[in-house]
Amino acid sequence: MNAKLLTLAASFAILAAGPAFAAPASPVSLVGGVKLEKTVTENGAQKTVLSEPKVVVPGDRLLFSTDYRNDGAVPVTNFVVTNPLPSAVTLAPEAAASTEVSVDGGKTWGKLADAKVSDGKGGLRAATTADVTHVRWTIAAIAAGGSGTVGYHAIVR
Amino acid sequence: MTTYRTILRTSACIVGCTLASQTFAGSAHAAGVLAGTLIENTATATYTSGASGGTVTSNKVTVKVDELLNVAVATLTSAPASASSAPAVLSWSVTNSGNGPEAFNLTADPKVSGNAFDGTITSIVIDTNDNGIYDAGVDQVLGAGAATPSIDPDKEVKVFVLVSLPAGATDAATSQVRLTASATTGTGTPGTSFSGKGEGGGDAVVGLTTASANSLAALVASLANVTLVKSASILDQFGTAKPVPGATVTYTLAAKITGSGVAEGVHVTDAIPAGTTYVPGSLKLDGSGLTDGADADAGSAGSAGVDVALGKVSGGSTRTVNFAVTIN
Repeated sequence: MNAKLLTLAASFAILAAGPAFAAPASPVSLVGGVKLEKTVTENGAQKTVLSEPKVVVPGDRLLFSTDYRNDGAVPVTNFVVTNPLPSAVTLAPEAAASTEVSVDGGKTWGKLADAKVSDGKGGLRAATTADVTHVRWTIAAIAAGGSGTVGYHAIVR
Repeated sequence: MTTYRTILRTSACIVGCTLASQTFAGSAHAAGVLAGTLIENTATATYTSGASGGTVTSNKVTVKVDELLNVAVATLTSAPASASSAPAVLSWSVTNSGNGPEAFNLTADPKVSGNAFDGTITSIVIDTNDNGIYDAGVDQVLGAGAATPSIDPDKEVKVFVLVSLPAGATDAATSQVRLTASATTGTGTPGTSFSGKGEGGGDAVVGLTTASANSLAALVASLANVTLVKSASILDQFGTAKPVPGATVTYTLAAKITGSGVAEGVHVTDAIPAGTTYVPGSLKLDGSGLTDGADADAGSAGSAGVDVALGKVSGGSTRTVNFAVTIN
C-alpha cells in the first residue's frame, strides 16, 4: 500500500513540475484541434458555425478541443487532461463556470468562482477569466478502445 | 483506487491558500493581441493503466492572429481658433486603435453644413515633434493626397490643419472643418477582409470602427473694419464761423476701428482742398502735434496733403487726426 502511494505521489510531483513528455508506446493518444466559432443569423434564427481558423482577429471566439482514445487492451483510469491557455487568449466566461481551472500555473485547481489572486498591493482579489492559466478535465476511466473529447472556448485578447 | 484519489484531492488547495499572482506574459494592448502573434496550444494527459502510470502529449495547434484595422479621431482645439490675415490652426489627434502598424489617409473638408462661410484649407501638417504646437518649418507638411506616417498600435499622431478666410468673410462668423482619417490598407463594413495585406503576413480585417473616423473643429473670423468720419469747424478773424477768405478751417478725421481683429497698415490721408492753404505745424494725432516733415514720427503734411501712419490698430479703438487750412 505504502509503496504504491509513494510511486503515485512521486510521478504526480514530476508531472506537476514541468512540461510532460510522451512516454514510449502509450496506449492513449491525444489529438488537439482548434476551430473558429461564429454565430450567424439564418432565417431569423441564430446558428453557431465552426470553421477552420484561417482569419482570426482580437475578439474572435476559438474552440480548443482535445480528442482522446484508449488504444490499449486494458482500461485507463484517472485520466486527467491538462490544457495550458495560450497567453494571447482568455477563457470564455461560460467555460469558466463549469471547468476546473488553475490561476497559478497549474499548482492548484478548483472553480474560478473560488479562486483568488494577489491584487498587487499585498492583498488578494477574486480571480477573473483573464487570470486563468490552465484548464483540466478528469475522466475516471476510459475503457479499452474507448474515446471522447474535451474542449474549451477562449476569446482572442 | 479510492485511497489514491483521496490523497490526490487533499494535496490540491484552492480555498484558504496563498496563491502567487500569475502575470500575463504577452503583448497586452487595448487594441488587442498584436497582428502576427502565434497562438499555440498543446494538451497533456496523465493516467493510470494497470499497475503503472503514464503521460501523453497532444500535437501542437497554431493559429496566427491577423490584423484588425481600427482608427479613432478626436478634436484637440476646444474653442474656435481665430483666423485673420493669418490662417487659423485647428488640431486633432489620430489614434491607431487596431493591432498592427498602419498609416492613415487624411482629408480636411471645409464645407460643413451650417457654416457661415467655408474656409480655404491651406495645408495639413503632422505635429512631427509632438509638442502640441504648430511649428512652421519643423512639423511635416503633408502633400496633397499623402497619408500620415505609419502609426504603431495604440499610438497616436497630432495633426494640424491651417484654414484661411475666404474673401467676404465677416468678423465673428464661425465655420467648421471635418478631418477624416482612413486606414491606407482599406476601409469598409466591419469584417471586410483584405487578403495577405495584414501585418505579419496574414489578412487585414476591418474592425468595428470601419477603419475610418472623423470629427469637427471650429474656426472664427477675426477681422477689423475701419471707418473714417471727417468733420470741419471754421473760425474766422472776427471770431465767428463764416467761411470767408482768411478764416481757418480745422478738419477732424476720426478713424474708428471695429471688430474682434486687428487692422494693419492703416494710413489716414487727406488732400488740401482747392482754394485753401495748409497751416504749417497744425497736424495732430490724438491731440499731440506731429512734425510736417517726413521723419521718424507718424505723420507728414504740406501743400500736397496729409498722411498719418497708424500701423496696427485693434478693433474697439478710435484714432483722431487734425489739421488746419486757411481759406485763400
